[in-house]
Amino acid sequence: MRDRGLGRPAEAAAPGSTGPARVLVLLYGIFALAAGARAGVQLATRFQEAPLAYLLSAFAAAVYVVATVALARGGRGGRRTALAAILVELAGVLVIGTLSLADPAAFPDETVWSGYGRGYGYVPLVLPVLGLLLLTRRRGA
Amino acid sequence: MSLALVVAITAVAALVVLAGLASTVARRRTGLVHLAGAGLLEALLVVQAVLAFARMGDGTPADTPTFLGYLFGVLLIPVAGVLWAQAERTRWAGTVLAVAAAAVGVMVWRLLQLWETTGA
Repeated sequence: MRDRGLGRPAEAAAPGSTGPARVLVLLYGIFALAAGARAGVQLATRFQEAPLAYLLSAFAAAVYVVATVALARGGRGGRRTALAAILVELAGVLVIGTLSLADPAAFPDETVWSGYGRGYGYVPLVLPVLGLLLLTRRRGA
Repeated sequence: MSLALVVAITAVAALVVLAGLASTVARRRTGLVHLAGAGLLEALLVVQAVLAFARMGDGTPADTPTFLGYLFGVLLIPVAGVLWAQAERTRWAGTVLAVAAAAVGVMVWRLLQLWETTGA
């Protein structure tokens, strides 16, 4: 009864643990959804207002989708693709974050990466760091 | 949109987050307690979606497409979180559910913000 209510005891994580990776995949999935939906709405309803910002939103969404799929698939190929996507993401959030603060006029509307992701609780800044930690830790193991 | 409902949803979401993290700390998978919490969360979100959809009007909210995206998109999160958590055999199942519930907690406040930005 206790096990049904509170959950059965967990199985030990397999070597090359998948547990934390699952959590990361879910986080990436949520961001792929959030960024994709935002970009879709922005591009469909008011593309002319800020084409650069909205195309960046779409690009960010695409990077999140690639990272999500690559992390979920795993394996050597998946890890390599994920690493590339996460590095692009890290560069994106740092470059766009800096530019959006240095020249706000160029970014009339928010993107996921504006102000280092402040509109999303800075999760866009933390996510690639977690991703890199996980990928490098597993490579070392 | 009602503030009381948003507060209630946030409270339930916070409980699900705690239950999820607790099972990770206790090295357990998710159980009926988590399922019940996520079920209650989903039920409240459905009530919110129906009420808000019924009260929508001209220019309320100003950014209607985004609002609808969030209003119905948020319904998928607890379902995805539960399915995902139940498939996970390691102790990280609870953390998966906790992340999903936390996302719901953030999204309802964003919804309220969108609702209060009217076109008028």
